[in-house]
Amino acid sequence: MTYDEKVAAFKARIDAGEKIEAGEWMPDEYRSAALKFIEMHANSEVMGALPEREWIPRAPTLKRKLSLTAKVQDEVGHGQILYRVAEDLGKSREQMFDDLVSGRTKFHNVFHYPTESWGDVAVIGWLIDGAALVTQKALLDSSYAPYVRAMKRICAEESLHLRHGEDLALELVSGMPEQRAMFQDAVNRWWRPIMHFYGPPSNPKKDVLLYWGIKTRSNEDLRQEFLSTYVPRLWDVGISVPDPELRWDDELGEWLWGDSDWVDWDEFWRTVKGNGPMTSVRLMYRKAMWDTHAWVREAFAGIPSAAA
Amino acid sequence: MFVWDVLGKRTDGDEFVVVGGVKAPDADMALLLARETHFRHKEGVAYAVRRRGDDEILLGTYDHDQLGGVTDRSYRRQDAYAGVGGKLKRISADMAQRGLAIDSPRPQSGRVRPAEH
Repeated sequence: MTYDEKVAAFKARIDAGEKIEAGEWMPDEYRSAALKFIEMHANSEVMGALPEREWIPRAPTLKRKLSLTAKVQDEVGHGQILYRVAEDLGKSREQMFDDLVSGRTKFHNVFHYPTESWGDVAVIGWLIDGAALVTQKALLDSSYAPYVRAMKRICAEESLHLRHGEDLALELVSGMPEQRAMFQDAVNRWWRPIMHFYGPPSNPKKDVLLYWGIKTRSNEDLRQEFLSTYVPRLWDVGISVPDPELRWDDELGEWLWGDSDWVDWDEFWRTVKGNGPMTSVRLMYRKAMWDTHAWVREAFAGIPSAAA
Repeated sequence: MFVWDVLGKRTDGDEFVVVGGVKAPDADMALLLARETHFRHKEGVAYAVRRRGDDEILLGTYDHDQLGGVTDRSYRRQDAYAGVGGKLKRISADMAQRGLAIDSPRPQSGRVRPAEH
């Protein structure tokens, strides 16, 4: 069988809904697209732990401190699980981490921004984890079986995180006027990064991840589901969305958002390319931890294999 | 360092199924990592590892009471947040009564039609 015939047979399997296992033959384009996507996902999990980690010492109660600590641990755990999945596609964990802290690979746009108040923790927990869950649930249908298994576990934990975030948000919106104002202010500051969360609308026919079934839904499809789920909930608790152009169009059956101050794709690209407001600080922190803990990795790797 | 498949049983009646993987230098460390990364929230009743390429399954020693911890760690699980959905409804009703809810056209419910801008 020629390479092209093998690729065609592989594509037919994906189109028929079959899942691909790690050890199976796969076209170079599939391997490379899956690796890049899963590596970026893993990077985002470990970098995503940092904005919330900053608030563990400042959590208002012991209960909140415990739950936030557990959530941060979960996010780092997701990173570990996803790096393991990515490793089987041909890149070592050490190389992936080195590429991350050196700025050669990307992580999600929302984790390049500062967290300024406890209201930000509620926004991350409810709206950003909510946005992530929309994406991650869609990945349960991915064509790459090890990724699907990882997503099953991650989605279960993200559902817990969503509840945690919703609980935090509800505490603020039903609290004192200052607490409501704190949450509203956080929503206003985070709205643009949230609108950027799924990336710019793209042509599904040219999306290589959709072609190979690694991703199953387009950016805009996911954003529409997010808006449908969360904007009405915000409105119901009296929290406004700062984009004046955002509205539900009954006739079109979709959310309309214009080219306003609240969607700026230049800012999105600047941010994910490593020029966000907190990019260098967070990468520096991650690199310091990587260097400080080198002895743990060395000890770990130094155990004689005969012990296995 | 070796790659180990992590296996788990959700209930006593289930067979072991692969739920993920870890990388570890030996079986003891693989079992410890498997427990911490895959069963921290009481996800099952039994766990095991199998070195990639081997047939032998090595069982973890923690039973289902011990998996996920023996002290109250409900903050790590959904049950700590039971009632949040009801709380949202109560607060929404309260906001509507106080005239604070924002009255704007919105979809009824469920997933909307995919759209490309």
